[in-house]
Amino acid sequence: MPPQQVEELLQVLSKGIRATQLYLPNNPVYQRAVDNIRASFRQIWQATDDLVFDVGETELRWEDNVVYNQEQRTESIAWTLYKDGVRSLAFKPGVEEAEIVSFLGVLQRARNLQADAADDLLTLLWAQDFQFVSYTFRELASENAVPIEKGETITSAPPTDMRHAVEQEAPPKREGLVSIDDFDTTLYFLEEGEVEYLKKDVEREYSQDLRRNVLSMLFDLLELQTYGTVRAELISIVENFIPYLLGAADFRSVAVILRETRAILQRARELIPEHRTTLEGLPARLSQHDALSQLMQSLDEAALHPTEDELSELFQELRPEALSTLMVWVAKLHDERVRDLVQAAAARLAQANAGEVLKALASEDGAAQLEMVKLAGRLKLPGAPEGMERLLASEDRGLKLAVVEALTAISSPSAMRLLERAIDDGDRDVRIAAVRFLGSRGYRNAATRIESMVTGSKLRHADLTEKMAFFEAFGALVGPKGIAALEKMLAAKGLLGRKEDPETRACAAMALGKVRTPEARGVLERAAQDKDPLVRNAVTRALREVGT
Amino acid sequence: MTAGGPPKGSIAETVQTTDGFLRHAGRDFLVVLYTAVRSLKLYPIENAQVQKALDDLTATTKHLLDVEKEIELRLQGEFIFINSTRLRLDLDNYASFSHILGVLRQSGIGAVRIDEGVERKQLQIFVSLLLSYAAKDVTATKVFELAQKLSDAGVTHIGVEPPLETDEDVEDEERQKEAAKRTYARSVAVTKEVINSIRMGRTANVKKVKRAVQAIVDQVLNNEASLMGLTTLRDYDEYTFTHSVNVCIFSVALGRKLGLTKLQLYDLGMAALFHDVGKSRVPLEVLNKQGGLTDEEWRIMQAHPWLGVLTLFGLRGYGEIPYRGMIVAYEHHMKTDLTGYPKSLRPRELSIYSKIVAVADGFDAATSRRVYQTVPIQPDQVLKEMWENPRRGYDSVVVKAFINLIGIYPVGTCVILDTYEVALVHSANPDVTHVHRPVVRIVTTPEGGVQHPGFLADLAQRDAAGNHPRSIVKVTDPIKYGINVSDYFV
Repeated sequence: MPPQQVEELLQVLSKGIRATQLYLPNNPVYQRAVDNIRASFRQIWQATDDLVFDVGETELRWEDNVVYNQEQRTESIAWTLYKDGVRSLAFKPGVEEAEIVSFLGVLQRARNLQADAADDLLTLLWAQDFQFVSYTFRELASENAVPIEKGETITSAPPTDMRHAVEQEAPPKREGLVSIDDFDTTLYFLEEGEVEYLKKDVEREYSQDLRRNVLSMLFDLLELQTYGTVRAELISIVENFIPYLLGAADFRSVAVILRETRAILQRARELIPEHRTTLEGLPARLSQHDALSQLMQSLDEAALHPTEDELSELFQELRPEALSTLMVWVAKLHDERVRDLVQAAAARLAQANAGEVLKALASEDGAAQLEMVKLAGRLKLPGAPEGMERLLASEDRGLKLAVVEALTAISSPSAMRLLERAIDDGDRDVRIAAVRFLGSRGYRNAATRIESMVTGSKLRHADLTEKMAFFEAFGALVGPKGIAALEKMLAAKGLLGRKEDPETRACAAMALGKVRTPEARGVLERAAQDKDPLVRNAVTRALREVGT
Repeated sequence: MTAGGPPKGSIAETVQTTDGFLRHAGRDFLVVLYTAVRSLKLYPIENAQVQKALDDLTATTKHLLDVEKEIELRLQGEFIFINSTRLRLDLDNYASFSHILGVLRQSGIGAVRIDEGVERKQLQIFVSLLLSYAAKDVTATKVFELAQKLSDAGVTHIGVEPPLETDEDVEDEERQKEAAKRTYARSVAVTKEVINSIRMGRTANVKKVKRAVQAIVDQVLNNEASLMGLTTLRDYDEYTFTHSVNVCIFSVALGRKLGLTKLQLYDLGMAALFHDVGKSRVPLEVLNKQGGLTDEEWRIMQAHPWLGVLTLFGLRGYGEIPYRGMIVAYEHHMKTDLTGYPKSLRPRELSIYSKIVAVADGFDAATSRRVYQTVPIQPDQVLKEMWENPRRGYDSVVVKAFINLIGIYPVGTCVILDTYEVALVHSANPDVTHVHRPVVRIVTTPEGGVQHPGFLADLAQRDAAGNHPRSIVKVTDPIKYGINVSDYFV
């Protein structure tokens, strides 16, 4: 096999490292690089059964030929191998299937390791347990290892004395007696049940939740160890463990920490005030804005999301002050499932903490305010209208509409009062939503205000939809008392009488439909043949509503 | 085969397919061979059990031959190879493997070859002859006599060969021994460095520890006996460090016997090496105190398991938190019924690794000379106590497996034989039915002269009359006879 073929392989491998570093496995560039590596190896295996390289600082040699040379250490495969002690490297057929990609990954990781890292190339290679890659290495660091040598000779007695001593010590020989040991050969056999027991124990070892096990130890120690310095160290470990666990998305364990902390506060003896304060503060810290925002961000960015149970367990432990932050993130989260879980947690907190609801409604974050308004409406929180009053003065139309919707859902006296004021809102949709609801609910307190709108000039420039909303509400709230005024508006005057526009006349007809008395019906029947089609249509519809 | 593999007929595919098939089929072959040997030993040939065993052996052999065309069963050290593929020992088969290993060795056989055309009758004759020759005295010509017998009996498709004892093998043995010594020395040095760093509040170099444990795992997998022999190096002055390394070696060797994978052995090794790391926070005057400890001092000593947990949390540069190491450090004195220390309030089930390390720890500690134990207890007594006294709190199945590993008379035990020779136990007998008859190194002549290096003798060997030429009559103190045990392993 010509050395050029091996050189080409190594060039392909160099490119392969870069490709696997820069691209993900599903990227065509990555896949092409891996395909090229495989093709190169397959060609090599047509000619040989193995490929062994001697590793130098900047070069790799194959059968005394330099087949790779790279002076720049940061780019050099040879240097990456050499600096950690590798002196030869061998590949066998089959390496190209899966192991070569892992091998390149290990090289890349080794390149990026810091000097004080817990691993180096050799520990990383070993952990891969390659079947088709082998290597030899020199231990580089002098370990201060004391070479093992024979000890000092102990002076022994002359042979005859030795023999005598042995005879003295040995028990007397008994001819013909057989040792029981020679029959009891199976005493130390492992029985099938025992083999099974050991196997199951090993399986259990690797299926257990290691973190939970260690946490259990820490809590036991916190409860039992009364020395202040020891407890301080344990508390510090637990505190520092929380962000680590959050980073590892182990939310269950964080929830366990918070739960167990409560138990320890009750049971631990001789807990000094300082430690008590720290432990009490743990759930509160997680509920603070910065910490909770980090958690929300990591949830949103995670490739794999925790289960509902895991998140629920954690959210159970959040303090009321977490509500505002949760509302901020409900608006931002991309993942629907996570958003639902966060909303559920927020709902739980909102229902139990009216004060926090008001705080959240007063949030400077518009999106958070909006979510809180929606949530308050969904949950029909009676205390929420107090915080919504200010929001009705907002310039944010969407927010005001949401407030109106929430108030209609809550329907408490305070909510209704706010809705009454909303009739005068500068925004058409807000006015319509408010007046429709008030009308449908029969809120007579608003009757006067609505009447003034209907009979006055404010609606003159309103569109048909708005006029209709107000007139219908008027009809529903004022009832028979309003028939006279409505009849006047509906009537087609004579040559010299003032006549309302068709829209107003049609609205009056619809309002009469809401009154639903025989008198109202009579008025409508008289207008049934009106010349104006808009009016005639409205009268027909109103008559249907009135019924027989 | 992995998906998207190479085109059929390539070398890569052949290597992968062959390897996997041979591992399984080879194991099956060994198991049926063992069953046939055992059956024939216990019952007459006409017995139904024997007949079935022979049928199974024939079927399995033919299945292997259908694929491989020929079978070569080769012994190399304590390993068995089928057509150059090493068979893996695990809990399901180690007893049968070691028995076959023993029978073949006793027959002087290094390799058995079987080719296509072999029939049931030939296999039956082979097994019968194997049994009868295994019972005979070891001679240099035994295997050739057996080969002749086979030929005389018309067995043309089965052949036997002596072991390939070449100079290369002897050199390899020496290389392995030197490698074991280097691994041991380096591990002790690294452990010392880490413990002292922790004691002085400095950052420990965990990378070196990982390399040391990986080297121990490799050594145990390649040549366990050489490393086990070095556990006899019980350094009085450096006890803490040699003890940690010895416990690591024993634990990894036991883990291998239990069939743990290489990476699992590494996990176990790391946990074992660090099991006493909490002692780095125990004052030296307590650790090294001569005489009894006061109540307060004992309380401090009993804290070392949980101090180990705190210490491991503080080990910067560890990368991932060493949970398993913490669990083992915490649990290794708890006893299986949790009546040990430290106390556990929350429910706990001991980890198998904790149980393994507890046994290894207990054994090494009891057999070492310490400030408070100037005369170490003899290894066989320690094992007896661990095995028979449940109050000691060791898992009896793990103890049993440990005894299987190191024998009733562990490596380094000094024994008196019924020939009035003094010997040192070199290794457990590879045939697990002979745990009480280890391979020993005879270090004195019957007349009393001390020999160095002496010679190896397998106490399971029988003479022509079927008796054992040598048997252990007593365990003794090597110092009494001027014998420095570790010199025979270094």
